[in-house]
Amino acid sequence: MRKIEKLEQPQLTIGFMELTDCAPLIVAKELGLYEKWGLSVTLEKQHSWATLRDKLHTGLLDSAQMLVPMAIASNLGLNCPKTEVVAPFVLSRNGNAITLSENIYQEILRIHKSKASKIQLPIQAEHLKPIIKKYKTYGKKLKFAVVFPYSCHYYQLVSWLNSSGISEKEIEIITISPANMVSALKVGDIDGFCVGGPWNAQAVRDKIGFTGVTSSDIWPGTPEKVLAMLGAWQCKNKRTAQALIMALYESCLWLQNITHRFEAACLLSKPCYLNTKVEIIAPSLLGSCLTFYNTQPREVPSYNQFSLPDERIGNCPDTIDGEMLVRHMLQAEHVSSIAQPALPLNTIFSSSLYHQTLDRHLNSKTLMKENLPKTGNINEALAPQTLLKMK
Amino acid sequence: MKNKVNISKTTDIIKVLLVENDKSKISEFTSALDQSNYHISQVSTSGMSLLREVNAFEPDMIIIDIESPDRDMLDSLNRISKSAPKPVVMFSDREDTDLINALVKSGVTAYVAGEVNPSRVKSILDTAIARFTEYQQLKKELEVTKQKLTNHRVVEQAKLWLMKTKNHSEEQAYQSIRKMAMDNSQKIEDVAKNILSLASMLEMSS
Repeated sequence: MRKIEKLEQPQLTIGFMELTDCAPLIVAKELGLYEKWGLSVTLEKQHSWATLRDKLHTGLLDSAQMLVPMAIASNLGLNCPKTEVVAPFVLSRNGNAITLSENIYQEILRIHKSKASKIQLPIQAEHLKPIIKKYKTYGKKLKFAVVFPYSCHYYQLVSWLNSSGISEKEIEIITISPANMVSALKVGDIDGFCVGGPWNAQAVRDKIGFTGVTSSDIWPGTPEKVLAMLGAWQCKNKRTAQALIMALYESCLWLQNITHRFEAACLLSKPCYLNTKVEIIAPSLLGSCLTFYNTQPREVPSYNQFSLPDERIGNCPDTIDGEMLVRHMLQAEHVSSIAQPALPLNTIFSSSLYHQTLDRHLNSKTLMKENLPKTGNINEALAPQTLLKMK
Repeated sequence: MKNKVNISKTTDIIKVLLVENDKSKISEFTSALDQSNYHISQVSTSGMSLLREVNAFEPDMIIIDIESPDRDMLDSLNRISKSAPKPVVMFSDREDTDLINALVKSGVTAYVAGEVNPSRVKSILDTAIARFTEYQQLKKELEVTKQKLTNHRVVEQAKLWLMKTKNHSEEQAYQSIRKMAMDNSQKIEDVAKNILSLASMLEMSS
C-alpha cells in the first residue's frame, strides 16, 4: 500500500457545470480516485459561470472546472474583481459544436437546391451568406447564442464565421444559459448556438436543430476547460494540489478507453450530475456527432478529448494556448491592448506544477493503466454499438 | 406573471425587477422594501422571455438568486447592451456572510446573504446603486482617457511622418497639422488620421 503523505487540506469543495466535459471530475469521484490520493472531495454543481467564478474567487470553492478564457478574464478583472487565478491542469479539449435551427438548415438546403447528403461536413459558414444578406434587406440579423462572453464558444463561433469571410458584426451574438438554449432555438428566438455537450445532441434528439461543425473541426485539440484555483491557494496547498492533479490525471487516462467512455456517460446521466438521458450524453463521448434527426451521425473521434496521444503531456497547460486566446479576446474587443502586457500568462498557464507532480508520482506502481479501477455498471441494453446506430 | 406596482411620478422611485418564483422570498423582499423608494415588480420567467421582460420594463435594478442559471445572461447585458447598464444584485440563502461580504467589498456586484432583513436590505441596495454609479463613472472616465491617449498617439505619428518626409521640425509639423484642422474646421486628431491613411497609401504604392 502506498503511503499517503500528509496533505495541507485533504477536504476540498470543487465546482462543476452540468456539461459533458466535466467527466474527469465526476469519474474521479465515482471511481474513488480522490480517496486514493488522500483527498475527500465534495463536488458542487453550479448553474452559472459568473457564480462559479465568484465562489472560486472568494474561497467558497477550493477549485473549479473553468472556461479557459475565464481564467484569463479573472486575472484581468473583466466584469469581476481582478483575481489571481491559475490553471495548472487541462481538464478537456474540444467538446463544443455549432447547431443551427431547423429553419435555417432547411433554408440552406433550399438555397443550394441540394439534398442533405450533398452538404459537406463540417459545414462552412459560407452557407449562411445568402441568408445573412436576405435578413439584411429586412433590417434583421441572424441571432446566435453562447453561454458566456469570455468563452471558447464565442471565439470559435467568430473564427468559424471569419474563415468564410463573414464578420461577427454581421450577426448578433447573445448570452443565454445552456438550459434555455434548446427551447430558444425551438421557438425561433435564436437561429443557432455554439455550446458544449450535451446541448447540441439534445437539440438533434429533440428534432429541432442541425449540428454542422464541432470545435474539433474549428480549433482542433485546443484546451476547453481547465482546473482553476486561486494562485495563493495553490502556493499554500502544494501537496494537495499535486494530489488533485494526480487523481484527475488518472481519471483522464481512464477516459481514454472507449468502453469506459460509455460508463462515464452512464455516471454523468445521474440526477446529481447532468440529470440527462444517456443517449444524449454518450454520442460525443464516443466520438459520434449527431447531426440531424433521421440522419447518420458523423464520426468525430476527438469530439471530446481528455488527453493527448502523448499522455505524459495530455493535460499540461501551455502558455501558447493562452496567447492564442488573448489574440481572440483582443479581436473581439473583450480586452483592450493596454491591459494585455500586464497579463501573467506564464503564471496562469505554468506547466511547472504539472511536471513536478508527474515527475514525482508517475513512477509509482499504483499508476498503471491496468491498475485503474473498473466500475462494471454498464447497462447492456445501451451498449455503445447499439447506441451509435441510433439515429 | 407580473405584479405591477403603481409607480408614482416621483423621480426618486427605483424600479426593481425581482427574478424569482419562490413566494416566500418574493414577500420577504416586498415587505422589506414596502416603505421605501424601491418598487418591486416580480417575474418568474427565464432565458429569452426574461430578456424581453427586462427590455419592456426597463428596471433600474435587477435582483436575482445567485444560483439562477440566468445570471450570466443578465451580467453580460451590462457588457454588451447599448441601453443604460443596470446593477444586478444577487441574493443567496447561504449564511456564509463573511465570505459574501468579502465579495461585496472587493467587487462591483452586491449580494444579500441569508435571510432578507428589512433594515439591512435597503442599505445593501443603496450601496449597490452608489457603487454601480461610481463604477460606471470610472469606466466612462477610463474610456475618455483611453480615447485621449489614442488621439495623442495618432497626432504624434502624423507629426513624425511630416518630420520624416517634409523635413519639418516638430513644431512646424504640429503647426501645419493645426492649420489644416482650422482651415477645414476639423479636429486635430481627424486631420492626423487623414495624414496617416494618406501616408500608408503612399507607402503602399511606392
